[in-house]
Amino acid sequence: MPKKSTKLKSEDSGTMQSKQQGESNPGLVIREIRKDETTRAAQLVARLKRLNGEFDPLLKTTDSLESEAQRTIEKATSNEASLVLVALSGAKVVGVVKADLKDRTFYEPRREGAIDEFYILPEYRRGSLGRDLLSAMGEMLKKKGAELITAEFPSQNEIAKRFYTKLGFRSLTNVYAKAES
Amino acid sequence: MTVKKKSVDTSKLAIEYSRYYQGKMQTIPKVPVTSLDDFSIWYTPGVAAVSLAVAKDPDLSFEYTNRWNMLCILTDGSRVLGLGDIGPEGSLPVMEGKALIYKYLGGVDAIPIPISAHEPEQIIEFAVNIEPAFGAIHLEDIASPKCFQILEELKKRLTIPVWHDDQQGTAGVILAGLYNSLILTNRKLKDSKIVLMGAGAANIAAAKLMMSAGATPGNIILVDSKGILQPEREDMDKMMLQNKWKYELALSTNAERREGGVDEAVEGADALIAASKPGPNILSKSTLRKMNKDAILFALSNPVPEIWPKDAKEAGVRIVATGRSDFPNQVNNSLIFPSVIRGVLDVKSKAVPDEVIIAAAKELAEYAEQQGTLTDQHILPTMMDWEIYPLVASAVGEACVKMGISRIKLSKPQIRGRAEEIIRKTQKMINALQKSNLIEPTSRVSLERNRRARR
Repeated sequence: MPKKSTKLKSEDSGTMQSKQQGESNPGLVIREIRKDETTRAAQLVARLKRLNGEFDPLLKTTDSLESEAQRTIEKATSNEASLVLVALSGAKVVGVVKADLKDRTFYEPRREGAIDEFYILPEYRRGSLGRDLLSAMGEMLKKKGAELITAEFPSQNEIAKRFYTKLGFRSLTNVYAKAES
Repeated sequence: MTVKKKSVDTSKLAIEYSRYYQGKMQTIPKVPVTSLDDFSIWYTPGVAAVSLAVAKDPDLSFEYTNRWNMLCILTDGSRVLGLGDIGPEGSLPVMEGKALIYKYLGGVDAIPIPISAHEPEQIIEFAVNIEPAFGAIHLEDIASPKCFQILEELKKRLTIPVWHDDQQGTAGVILAGLYNSLILTNRKLKDSKIVLMGAGAANIAAAKLMMSAGATPGNIILVDSKGILQPEREDMDKMMLQNKWKYELALSTNAERREGGVDEAVEGADALIAASKPGPNILSKSTLRKMNKDAILFALSNPVPEIWPKDAKEAGVRIVATGRSDFPNQVNNSLIFPSVIRGVLDVKSKAVPDEVIIAAAKELAEYAEQQGTLTDQHILPTMMDWEIYPLVASAVGEACVKMGISRIKLSKPQIRGRAEEIIRKTQKMINALQKSNLIEPTSRVSLERNRRARR
């Protein structure tokens, strides 16, 4: 079931700054999403959800996946408490990451930047784009006051587990699920 | 339609013969036994000294025992010929057949070992555990994609060659045929646009081997049942999780980023290698007409190629090869595997990497050229060309020695001489057994049948 990985912002902020995206991913640009890029970004989010579906039958996507993805991205782009970044190769959107700023009710640190969408097209995964996109998001969330960065992904997704672990994240909470038929 | 009638007859005969002979292979000694006293040498107490020596230096098992010539034919019976998953027992007749071909053409002592295990990890463990008894392992008829994982892992873990015929054997013979087709049509591998239709074990291995041999990855296009492989296809993530070998090819091939089906893929292609599903209407003439002038087509599905050769020729294809012996240009694994295994065994190799398979393919291709028989209708030797086996074995052995993966160093002529001697001796032995009726002629089977009928 979806699992949250977490990281305290202070742990690794130096590394984040040292990763200049232009240097390790020539030709790739990371920046905030623009209005005319929401459709393409939503397509990538839909791919992410279908990938999640490969890990667990309880993450099977609905028929309205595409339109919901579109709605999610559009809502996030107009919401102050959300951030959507895209990675571009030329004019083409090849990666997307979305996070929401939240207040944790019971725990400290209080301000959480929660990454819930993160997808990069297969052929752009080899380099350091994933790392760069994540650290760019981390930086922006920090600027907006986040003290803790979390990321959510399916429990069975070992690739994501390795990715976040390598970058200093660890498992924080678990979501267990049981289908009632 | 003669084909159909013939296959019915061979099926009937095969059952009848199998019942009569009760199997195709047996073991017989290679040392003289004149009295029971001899066993004090071959067995205890004498054998203890040999065992101690081998225990001290396990590589001596390649010198003091028959290990150097022993091949394990390992299968789980999950993808047998065109029959699918028929289980280990069901696969045994096929494995015995393979062992017979190995013995007859390559002088190799091959033991059929179908196992009741299905998980890749189980098959890998089994192979690792049985390694000490064999000089090489031949994986046969194991389903894709687990066959990729098994081969990849065993290559890392074993110190004897591992050969998966449906991958390397088919890829090797495809490459050999392609080399000569390219010579005939005045092309270079590096510049050729090659389409592979079907993305199973054979074509995935063929694409990889072609790249190792110098084909330009971007010039290759693979097409599977869902269309052209390209990095942005919707099922890429699923492929990454389920078949990373195909996924890797989707990322590295198709530089033009073509999308669509086989029609879009073959536009301007020089060669089309089809290993998809039995024809004859899988490929159409109109599809083939989109290919370049002097097009090359390997339609390899069995029992019926993706398109009949006659139709392919009418559509302007210049060189047509199939998997069948009743048409010209048979692309047949049997041209490769006995000699590759003969070659690696003779130099006691530790592996059989792509470079070695490429050396085998080149030697096989050059044979047809040197015999002066290279034509559009004859791009490959046939199984009748007995000389190819020791010749290709010598190219294989030489490549192993050069790469430093052999346990002994022999020159190419030495390996050829040794292979020739082994194969000739084997065939002499089989002939002697037949002459003395210790291997009975098949006419006995019909005599028996008639005798029973009269009763």
